[in-house]
Amino acid sequence: MATLSTTEATEHAQSPKPVRKFRLASWAPVAILLLLCAIIALINPNFLSFGNLVRISQAAMIPLVLGLGATFIILMGSIDLSVEGVLTLSAVMLSMLVLNGANVNDYGLLAVLFVLAAGAAVGFVNGVVHVRLKVPSFMTTLGVWFIGVGVANALLGGMAIRVNDPWVRGLAIERFLGFPWGVWLAGACLVVALVIQNHTRLGRHIYALGGGEELAALSGISVARVRILAFTLAGIFYAVGGILAAAQLGLGNAQIGNGRLFTTVTAVVVGGTALSGGQGGVLQTLVGVLIVVVLANGMVLMGVPPSIQIGVQGLMIIAAVAMSIDRKLMRIVK
Amino acid sequence: MTKHILAVTMRRSLGRRDFLKGATLLGAAGAFPAIITSRSLAQDKPTVVNSIRSLSNPYHATWNKGGAAFAKSVGTEYVTLVTEGNSEKGIADIKAILAKTGGNCVVNVDPNDSPDARPIVEACKAAGAYVVTQWNKPADLHPWDFDPNYVAHISFSGVPYGKAMAETLIKAMGGKGGIVALGGIESNVPAIERKAGLEEALKANPDVKLLDMQVANWSATEALEKTNAWVTQFGDEIGGIWAANDDMALAAVEALRAEGRAGKVPVTGIDGIQLAVEAIQKGELAGTVAWDPYWQGGMGLSIGYHAKTGTFDPAKEGHEHREFYGTGVIISAENAQSFYDSNIKSEPQLDWNDIWGRVSGQIKY
Repeated sequence: MATLSTTEATEHAQSPKPVRKFRLASWAPVAILLLLCAIIALINPNFLSFGNLVRISQAAMIPLVLGLGATFIILMGSIDLSVEGVLTLSAVMLSMLVLNGANVNDYGLLAVLFVLAAGAAVGFVNGVVHVRLKVPSFMTTLGVWFIGVGVANALLGGMAIRVNDPWVRGLAIERFLGFPWGVWLAGACLVVALVIQNHTRLGRHIYALGGGEELAALSGISVARVRILAFTLAGIFYAVGGILAAAQLGLGNAQIGNGRLFTTVTAVVVGGTALSGGQGGVLQTLVGVLIVVVLANGMVLMGVPPSIQIGVQGLMIIAAVAMSIDRKLMRIVK
Repeated sequence: MTKHILAVTMRRSLGRRDFLKGATLLGAAGAFPAIITSRSLAQDKPTVVNSIRSLSNPYHATWNKGGAAFAKSVGTEYVTLVTEGNSEKGIADIKAILAKTGGNCVVNVDPNDSPDARPIVEACKAAGAYVVTQWNKPADLHPWDFDPNYVAHISFSGVPYGKAMAETLIKAMGGKGGIVALGGIESNVPAIERKAGLEEALKANPDVKLLDMQVANWSATEALEKTNAWVTQFGDEIGGIWAANDDMALAAVEALRAEGRAGKVPVTGIDGIQLAVEAIQKGELAGTVAWDPYWQGGMGLSIGYHAKTGTFDPAKEGHEHREFYGTGVIISAENAQSFYDSNIKSEPQLDWNDIWGRVSGQIKY
């Protein structure tokens, strides 16, 4: 009997999701994205050129990969502020291990694997500290953010290292079907994230945790395990982001992550993933990233004065979130 | 016993507390070693002291090297104080060293914030030490009001160098065409001054058109995005890119590289970081300006040291030697190699007795 009710509970927790996906409001971010594109294209037709499409995809690749990682955390109702820390550390370590302008290392692919493992390790630490020491994710990841940047600083002593590895640089420079390899890599990450979200136990459990952690625990889900795994997964995505950032700028330094956290969380939330957890997903994050990137690109193309650009960005965030919230589901707004 | 300790630490609530206590202790211990000293023999000679923000950025790390080189040249004790961005710590550390040396010292300080300069100068005056400030001080605080202890204040004007880079860029473009410009944080004084310099150069070159100026907040990431958008908007109209610092300039070069145009469109930066100098050697950057923190770290001490030891009397120097703009080194394709060889590849060789050699005018407020 007990087992039966557990399965029932799990099914109940999951079954309303497909229905909710077709709410009109959840399409609001897509509508905003299309509207935005239409307005920009009307003012500056260059926006629709293939070249600009490629440039937007280039600008979107790093925020997308970071956003994918953060999506899983935000879906659980937690927050991850360590984005910049992990990204910076990854980029710096990569720049020191591949062919570079400062030392004789040339580990190529091995260095990439090492950096991914390091990202996973930092994410794992995030998860363990958060779960085992019961430190709120906000404070845990804030600490890890500073530690990551601090270690990167200590490694470099404030210097910048040029990346000369042709494979790493190739992610930003070499193209396949018109798009840089980094964009394809980000696309592959999207597919992986989609599979994890929809077709693995971890993905479903993350939703369950976000929907109601006590219920999930009562249904026999190991909350601690899911949380630690989710943070580890996020760490790997941030490390990919670090690799792409080092590839794009052709260097590693301790400032390489600056400003990334804001873009990441904005993109995830604007896409329609609720900060309270349980709602949203990876595809929403893709839309959110595109909104943020297209807006940034469009404001330059439309000639919006630099001094008011940040304000316009803020307005768009509020508008996008306000339009996509289902207020009927919310009893309390914090 | 070990097992017991392990078991205790593994238990959640207790383990957590112990861990947190341990972490706090560790953090506190890390904050301790504030004063890094390098001892030497001679003690009747005044101790020379550099107070800077941190040793983890290349600028202040080089500054510190210059200070050490000067101290070595006169054979006196050298002390580095690090504020870590904390004004109170910066002032307290200076007071501590004044007490320790009994005022027999020379302080060369890059104050963490402008208001810090006043208590630092007053403390030095009271202790009989000599002090030189750089970059930050209140506009109404003047060395001649604290004769002879407050020897000089040194700063750098962004206007002539922003202008010089614009001229370098325009020259590389062949005197005509369209340029785009990447600015720093809009409210920063260096950003405002460098932009003013750019505008002066544009006024003098009517054949060059400023297509657009964007604020990229000194950030490489933002500069890359802005440059990408410009490539869409202006395409081949972009004849050159002016950037208010090297980080943004190098990011613009990378944006051009992704389009296969790196090295074809001239780009200029400012600051003279190593990667920028290397990019000039490769022909991807047209120019930059080096502030030479090695000179700032050594010469600031040298000026104070000469005053303290009686080589000159600060009170008798004109105002143009008390509050002056230093001279930046303009680096372009012609001198990039020699600059690299003498400043980056090897330790710079400076004449520390040439104390007024880089004065380029009295500071205007």
